[in-house]
Amino acid sequence: MAGGEVRLAKLVKAFDEVTVVDGIDLHMPGGEFFSLLGPSGCGKTTTLRMIAGFEQPTSGEILLDGKNVALTPPHKRNVNTVFQGYALFPHLSVFDNVAFGLRRQGTPRAEVRRRVNEALAMVHMEAFAKRRPAQMSGGQQQRVALARALVLKPAVLLLDEPLGALDAKLRKILQIELKALQQEVGITFIYVTHDQEEALTMSDRIAVMHEGRVEQVAPPEVVYEEPSTTFVADFLGTSNVIHAVATQATASGCEVRVGEFELTAGRGAIDARGETKIAIRPERVTLEPHGSTGPNRLAGMVERVVYLGNANQIIVRLPTGEALQALVQNTGEKLAYEQGDPVRAHLPAEALRVLADTGAAEIEEQAAAAA
Amino acid sequence: MTQASATGRAHAIRLRLRRRPKVLTLFVWGYIVWSLAPALIAIAFSFNSGKSRSIWQGLSLRWWTDGPGSMLHNDVFRGALEHSFTLAVLNVLIAVPLGIGLAITLSRWFGRGSGAVSLLATMTLVVPELVLAISLFLLFTQLLDIVELGTMAQVIGQVTFTLPFVVVITRGRMSSISTDLEEAAMDLGCSPLQALRLVLVPLLQPAIVASVVIAFALSIDDFVVTQYLSSDASTQTVPMLIYNTARGSATPALNATATVLVVVTALLVALGGLLYYALSRRQRLGAAE
Repeated sequence: MAGGEVRLAKLVKAFDEVTVVDGIDLHMPGGEFFSLLGPSGCGKTTTLRMIAGFEQPTSGEILLDGKNVALTPPHKRNVNTVFQGYALFPHLSVFDNVAFGLRRQGTPRAEVRRRVNEALAMVHMEAFAKRRPAQMSGGQQQRVALARALVLKPAVLLLDEPLGALDAKLRKILQIELKALQQEVGITFIYVTHDQEEALTMSDRIAVMHEGRVEQVAPPEVVYEEPSTTFVADFLGTSNVIHAVATQATASGCEVRVGEFELTAGRGAIDARGETKIAIRPERVTLEPHGSTGPNRLAGMVERVVYLGNANQIIVRLPTGEALQALVQNTGEKLAYEQGDPVRAHLPAEALRVLADTGAAEIEEQAAAAA
Repeated sequence: MTQASATGRAHAIRLRLRRRPKVLTLFVWGYIVWSLAPALIAIAFSFNSGKSRSIWQGLSLRWWTDGPGSMLHNDVFRGALEHSFTLAVLNVLIAVPLGIGLAITLSRWFGRGSGAVSLLATMTLVVPELVLAISLFLLFTQLLDIVELGTMAQVIGQVTFTLPFVVVITRGRMSSISTDLEEAAMDLGCSPLQALRLVLVPLLQPAIVASVVIAFALSIDDFVVTQYLSSDASTQTVPMLIYNTARGSATPALNATATVLVVVTALLVALGGLLYYALSRRQRLGAAE
């Protein structure tokens, strides 16, 4: 289906004195699975509610297929919402819930029946048409809520933490189903979540939000592998963020100093100078015996070993006082390090990033270049 | 101490604990009998074959339908019954829709922080009824010429003190209805008014039923306001009739008249209760198991 392009321009929402959404610019092309990811209070839900029409922006524009709908009431927008608590009408059967929107449009009876059955089949809920919402499990209600929104063939589907109330296993199953469904219907999905795994699994692109602003917009693997700010690095999984001083450019990146050690960081804002932060994922850190030599190594002492099942998490205390996490896969062999052992931590240059805590504009540029 | 005797003691303590509420049970039943007995005795005497309302002389329908002094053949009694029911029906028809509208406006458009407005709107709950009656009487006789004493004034008076009850009942229900539901309705193409009609009002059904019952019962039961705002014998209700004749030479026909009132109201309350139960079961809000 054509259309479904959403563009947010300088969007601001303030409630009384509090600015919840602080000037965000985003562009979602038609047919994209786009996630707004961030902790609670970051403004992601308010942004979604403005696109739906439940909140009016304080300033800025919401362009839906080129038309500014910022002040259009919700019932006149070609977007539909799947609510966090499903919001199924408790006094209506599943069939009547799904038929609700079609009937408002004055769709003929026979067509209502056909399209409702189609939509229920799409979410595997045909057998439940006569049930009432209270007679179904959370997962079943979620599927009905999805059918109720999709049956209207909106240009954009808005999803507000739709899997939040479900147990972990069901959530995994529905993540896969949702992604498949989005590819099948081909419309734009804008998905709000605080669960990084959810966002990483399903999205084409993710906007990481923090305190009303967009920190980074990029495909999942880029936000995860190449977080551009400390916040993103920290929010997406565990990351080691270490204070460093960037000194000079080298052939392979940027030279940084951590305490008395010199390292080369091959990624991120390699033209930064002075006080900065560097980041590396625990799974990219390798531990070597004390005394081993080579570039990009830090000395430290094993402080704690945590058994995780498939891996061992090893916390290494650096001479600077900071802690470094290393994740060592469990291969069945006995771990070579114990608490109190001096070790060398190897931080490969190609996995070490210099973080840029700069404004959102630069990040947007980076994202555009990456995409 | 052996284990067996320990469990024996525990058992004895449990028994004692379970026995204790018997006093309370007795008290509850005692109260029920005490509160219902006078009404039941009054009802029984409407079937007395003699003229007395305190000495039983045998069973008959003399005061109901048969004799010349029966309720059925007494225009004053019949008129009072008719007027009581007329006022009750009018009160329901006016106070319930108005109160629900008021409640929706208060909870949805004034927000939750509308303490002052809510308090004002439910003020008449705490104003002594006599004060309300006298002020309305003065208003209608001195200031507002359009409203004459009689049915119209009585209905306005009853609606005035019934409204807060309807508002309180409705707001209680509304606080359990998520605003998500109305937003979902608008999301699916409803204008705000359609969302109200198609989602909110159906979900308010239990509150509407409860309000109807309360409004009816309050009207039937009312004496002070209805008495003050009455005009002549044609606007006399059953409570007024009882007040005016009970101390004089009343016959069991008066008991018969009051019985009709009690039975109809009790039936309505029972019906309302059943309906309320059925509706709230059918519409369990949210909550999946």
